[in-house]
Amino acid sequence: MSGTPSPAVQQRSYLWQDGTLRSWLLTRDHKRIGLLYLGSITAFFVLGSIGAALVRLQLLEPTGAILSDATYNRMFTMHGVVMVWLFLVPSIPVTLGNFLVPLMLGARDLAFPRLNLLSWYLFVASGLLVVYGLFRGGLETGWTFYTPLSSEYTQGRVLPVVLGVFLNGFSSIATGVNFIVSIHQLRAPGMTWYRLPLMLWALYATSVIFVLATPVLAITLLLLAFEHLFRVGVFDPTLGGDPLLFQQLFWFYSHPAVYIMILPGMGVVSEIVSTFSHKPVFGYRFVAWSSVSIAAIGFIVWGHHMFVAGTSLYSAIVFSMFSFFVSVPSAIKVFNWLGTMHGGSIRLDAPMLYAMGFIGLFTVGGLTGLFLASLASDVHLTQTYFVVAHFHYIMVGGMVSAYFGGLHYWWPKITGRMYPEIWGRVAAALIFFGFNLTFFPQFILGYEGMPRRYATYPAQFQVLNVLSSAGAGILAVAYLLPLIYFTWSLFRGAQAPDNPWGATGLEWQTASPPPVENFAETPVVTTDAYDYAARDGRADAARVDEGAPHA
Amino acid sequence: MPDSPVLDHHSPYETPLHRDESAIAGMWLFLASEALLFGGLFLVCLIYSHTRSAGWAEGVRHTNLVIGGVNTMILITSGAVYTMAVEAGKRGDNRRVVRAGLGAAALGVAFLVLKGVEWALEFREHLFPGPDFALHGPDAGAAELFYSFYFLATFLHGMHMVVGIGLILWICRKARHGIFGPAWNTPVDIVGLYWSFVDLVWMLLFPLLYLLGRA
Amino acid sequence: MARIATCWTMLVLLLAAELVAARAGLGAVVCVLAVLMVLVIVLGFMQILRAPPLAIIFALGGLFWLAILLALGSLDSFTRTTVPVHDTAPYAPAVR
Ligand code: HEM
Ligand SMILES: [Cu+2]
Repeated sequence: MSGTPSPAVQQRSYLWQDGTLRSWLLTRDHKRIGLLYLGSITAFFVLGSIGAALVRLQLLEPTGAILSDATYNRMFTMHGVVMVWLFLVPSIPVTLGNFLVPLMLGARDLAFPRLNLLSWYLFVASGLLVVYGLFRGGLETGWTFYTPLSSEYTQGRVLPVVLGVFLNGFSSIATGVNFIVSIHQLRAPGMTWYRLPLMLWALYATSVIFVLATPVLAITLLLLAFEHLFRVGVFDPTLGGDPLLFQQLFWFYSHPAVYIMILPGMGVVSEIVSTFSHKPVFGYRFVAWSSVSIAAIGFIVWGHHMFVAGTSLYSAIVFSMFSFFVSVPSAIKVFNWLGTMHGGSIRLDAPMLYAMGFIGLFTVGGLTGLFLASLASDVHLTQTYFVVAHFHYIMVGGMVSAYFGGLHYWWPKITGRMYPEIWGRVAAALIFFGFNLTFFPQFILGYEGMPRRYATYPAQFQVLNVLSSAGAGILAVAYLLPLIYFTWSLFRGAQAPDNPWGATGLEWQTASPPPVENFAETPVVTTDAYDYAARDGRADAARVDEGAPHA
Repeated sequence: MPDSPVLDHHSPYETPLHRDESAIAGMWLFLASEALLFGGLFLVCLIYSHTRSAGWAEGVRHTNLVIGGVNTMILITSGAVYTMAVEAGKRGDNRRVVRAGLGAAALGVAFLVLKGVEWALEFREHLFPGPDFALHGPDAGAAELFYSFYFLATFLHGMHMVVGIGLILWICRKARHGIFGPAWNTPVDIVGLYWSFVDLVWMLLFPLLYLLGRA
Repeated sequence: MARIATCWTMLVLLLAAELVAARAGLGAVVCVLAVLMVLVIVLGFMQILRAPPLAIIFALGGLFWLAILLALGSLDSFTRTTVPVHDTAPYAPAVR
């Protein structure tokens, strides 16, 4: 394992083995599929960001700065739908997850390579349909598609979008099935469950949600489409249906889905925190099982989105109680990360900065979730900017930070190149600052009563809104930076060594970038996941072997 | 799904058995997912059949029990016949796979044809929800809800049948080339799981659509 | 072969019993019989007990989550307080 990969390694790398477009589009290599996904979700991330930018520009002025009311509604819908289904739900699982699951397991590929490729095609098709629907007619329902607004009012414009999201679901299910079966079946010799990297526990839990929650969204949207196409009653009160049933079914998926949008981030953070503290994760089994219990409890809290919708008090109390339960495993994780860092030899490279940002912002988001889970305070806070701030702290402050942190952390492995460290740190710091400036004011706005999803607002809220929009500007620049220097590093970055961070984990034992078959020979695992003593011993031995001077 | 008995060099598996077990487990996982897809429909049924029970039952009384019952028999038989194909596959008897497979598919088509006849009758009787819905009276709204459920559920189940029949024909084509043997017949098995699942869903839909509330 | 024939006969008998129970108005019995039919298919045709253990875990998992969906999903509808609506339009919103 030397610092500069030999030409032979480069030749065998999955990136260059066969460079034709055809070989990329028909590839069954999980690493290449991960990169195909990376390209597509980046495009959707840019599109969703444009929607956010327009929303924040509009809210610079109380009467609305640039958009008509209808266009405003379409923009926040576009932003929400694109960001949730075309970016955040797939984000870490389909890019880093696709790339890493087999590598971390010590396997040659995922269990069903062709299914994996199919999932990408489904994803692209669904994305195109959604975008077509959002721009051909426009949609003003928000990402939640509540009936009867979505069925009565939109006059069919909802159909392509709903069909797109429906297809998207099957892409998620395919990924989930693939990950679960792979983790069960393809662990390298010696790789017991309690030796799995915590990233895999998190992705396993995520996949359970993919497989068991997504079909309910699919049927819900199908019912909505049917109702609309054939004017038969299911949810529409004018046709005899019960609109709350739509909300029940929608949130049966969508609350677990918010955990799809955080669990993989937690997995990434566990890896990064351990590596950059050079210490095993504190309380490994607690962190592992907290992922599973988050996924499980996450299925029984969805009613907290309907406290003021007129659901029964029994239902509200039950769901409120479960919502408090779900914060327990989340808190366990936060404490264990802090325990891992405590007394470690911490290095503040860019991935670690993102991970630390994650921990802080996720904590704020989670705690404010408890305000919303309490019946009495939710009545005041629901449908205000407080909710908007709550979920952006988790989804953007948490998950997107983790996604960027993970991209930086594994970039050397994926591309064989180092990114410029200084710029990485600048971007991480700027994201943290811009994020807080954007969303902290929204907590106050919501607390003071500014409702969400309106194109205009009372003048007294302007100062905070301008602050928020200014923060969004900073955030936009900060997100552009990695796009630029990652691209730069592809061509000019320093050659990455096999294990630049001194990390444990099988993915670091193979070349950067890995050969097509991942490992020259199937690895045999003899130590726990974060056994730095063993790794350092091996690294020293390797150096002695090569006759290099001892450090 | 693997398309040949041998492992190619990119295969993530150590042995063919390892691969086949993974494929079967994967199919079960997919079926668990499918169960929740139908679960959403069952929730709709559970709620409306209780909160709007009178009109719901009136809807049930108007479904065509004869066709429904015959169709149930057909599906039971089709499931049994395809299971014979699975057994034949285990022995490597490709000819019997083809014959049993075609039999099961033909029964599936018969089910769909009868279902089509049933739908046509219902359209003629104005049982499709809408302004000229046939049933009147205080509970007509709930009866309409029932028929929404009826048409959606039978449509979704019918689509699964179409996919299942397609899969069975694909198996028959492979078997005609004599591809299956005692060592390798996983695709026959996997399609069998799917076909039985479609069967199973109907065993639940039949009482919900035709029986509960009839008396 | 014998296994398939037995299962088929059992299913036919269960179907007949279902029809009788439905005629007699015994809804609960119909439900039990339907569940039995599902069991015959799962055990007899799909042979879950001879599948890899993983398959059983997946099937039970699916069943468990289905139960959650049905139980918690209907909780609200079955415990909701409904306020009568004065308007007696033919399509009143869902009220019991
Ligand atoms: C610590 C656990 C959490 C609790 C107790 C919690 C609680 C809540 C509650 C009660 C609401 C409803 C507020 C309302 O509409 O009145 C809500 C909304 C929301 N939460 Fe959380 N939450 C938690 C974690 C998360 C996570 C991890 C995410 C995403 C990654 C998330 C994303 C959302 C979203 C997107 C909404 C708004 C949905 C909408 O109406 O558009 N939450 N949360
Ligand atoms: Cu929630």
